[in-house]
Amino acid sequence: MAITYELMKSITAQLYDWSLKKVPDDTKDALRRAEAAETNPLAKRTLGILLRSAEMAEQSERLVCSDSGVPVYFVQLGTGVRIEGDIKQAIKDGFDHLVETISPPILKHVTNPLTNERSYRGKDMPLVTWDVLSGADYIDITCQPKALGSGRWAALEIFTSPSLEQIEAFVMDCVLKAGSQHCPPVVMGVGIGGSFDHCTKLAKLATLRPLGSVNPEPILAAMEARLTEATNKTGFGPMGTGGDTTTLGVHIEYAAGHGFTPVAVCFNCWINRRTRARVYNDGRIERVE
Amino acid sequence: MSDEIRRLRLPLDVEEIRSLRAGEMVLLSGDIILTAGLPTHKRIEEYLDAGRELPLDLHGQTLFHLGSYSRDAADGGLEVLYINPTTSTRFNGYMPRFIRHFGLRMVGGKGGLDAASAAAMKEVGCVYLSFVGGGSPLLSDAVKGVVSVHWPDLIAHFRLVKLRVEDLGPLTVGIDAHGNSLYDSLQQQAAERMPEIMAGLAARRAATTP
Repeated sequence: MAITYELMKSITAQLYDWSLKKVPDDTKDALRRAEAAETNPLAKRTLGILLRSAEMAEQSERLVCSDSGVPVYFVQLGTGVRIEGDIKQAIKDGFDHLVETISPPILKHVTNPLTNERSYRGKDMPLVTWDVLSGADYIDITCQPKALGSGRWAALEIFTSPSLEQIEAFVMDCVLKAGSQHCPPVVMGVGIGGSFDHCTKLAKLATLRPLGSVNPEPILAAMEARLTEATNKTGFGPMGTGGDTTTLGVHIEYAAGHGFTPVAVCFNCWINRRTRARVYNDGRIERVE
Repeated sequence: MSDEIRRLRLPLDVEEIRSLRAGEMVLLSGDIILTAGLPTHKRIEEYLDAGRELPLDLHGQTLFHLGSYSRDAADGGLEVLYINPTTSTRFNGYMPRFIRHFGLRMVGGKGGLDAASAAAMKEVGCVYLSFVGGGSPLLSDAVKGVVSVHWPDLIAHFRLVKLRVEDLGPLTVGIDAHGNSLYDSLQQQAAERMPEIMAGLAARRAATTP
């Protein structure tokens, strides 16, 4: 048996559909904890409204946000998988099919950056990052639709052998620049090192980690904790109208590099769209998130 | 902040608008006008430059940065399937003129507007309302009817749409008509706190870095 074009087409479309209607469980839990801990009454109430919206969307299968973003996937191919058909084309065709069939229908967000024209299709869409998983007999697929609201505030800077202090100052600079704008409380991803492209990918992958997870590298585990605390001390709060909760968590990933050290920072808005499944050689689908 | 959420019925006069305070929550009923489009703002500006009348009257009205999905309904009318806010700051360049020209009473969306808009709002008596991003189910349930949809040549969320709403919200007054902006004051507060925050990071680094 093998993983087919049809299977890949339907699962990638489904993951997109689900991601628009359900806030991940870890994110809802984190929002509930934040609501309980908030000392600012307006922020507490705002968090309650966000949670109510999430519950309504989930119960009645509606969009949490009208901005359904553009399709972004992270695909990891197990080295033990057998493939039948063009699974790359399948993701493209799956999105086209979704646009025709999803209820409620989604708006046109795919934007040509040269003309600013919007449609459902565009060059390189869907945006897919391909990776290889050693030894696995499945394909691991994560869907993370991305929109302007929080996407706009991502940043990268390249340092030369920076100190931890310089890295953290840059992250806080990004927090200050984003301010009230990115639909906080946000999940923050930070990439350190590697190359220009690898670093941004690390930051994106960091946002995919479950909230509450900690980087196994002790230097980064400590940095994650202190940057989370520092970000929340800024006071921007839920929806940027003030409060103790500006981020639900800062996740950091790193890679070795060559002294020129890129540092990338990106944000996911509070709905933290993320769905994930594994498809196996025997056609089985395991919904992971 | 009072626990009471004020219920407001549009249209509102200047006195009522000036009685609203930044940080207060409100529910809105009545007719609202909205768009999420940059091309729409550009077109409104072109109409103003040319002295042309807009297809709907914005004077004394609301102009919210909300996207909507509108389409022809089976009964021959129009339906709006959902609404949701978009980032207002990208319209900063247009808003002061619109606020003054139309004497807008309410603007809004998410993320706020800049100081130039806040100044125009203070001048004419206008407030900025913060809609929760990702609040689509909650906000859409408040839509009770479609009054009109204009400029159908634009994609759905860029159209100029007038909706009838009942208890839309809760919405937070982000900028009031007295020049108080939560956004500006929070940005200033964060900048002021930054030296202390950086010192805290340094102290924790010293204590925790292996």
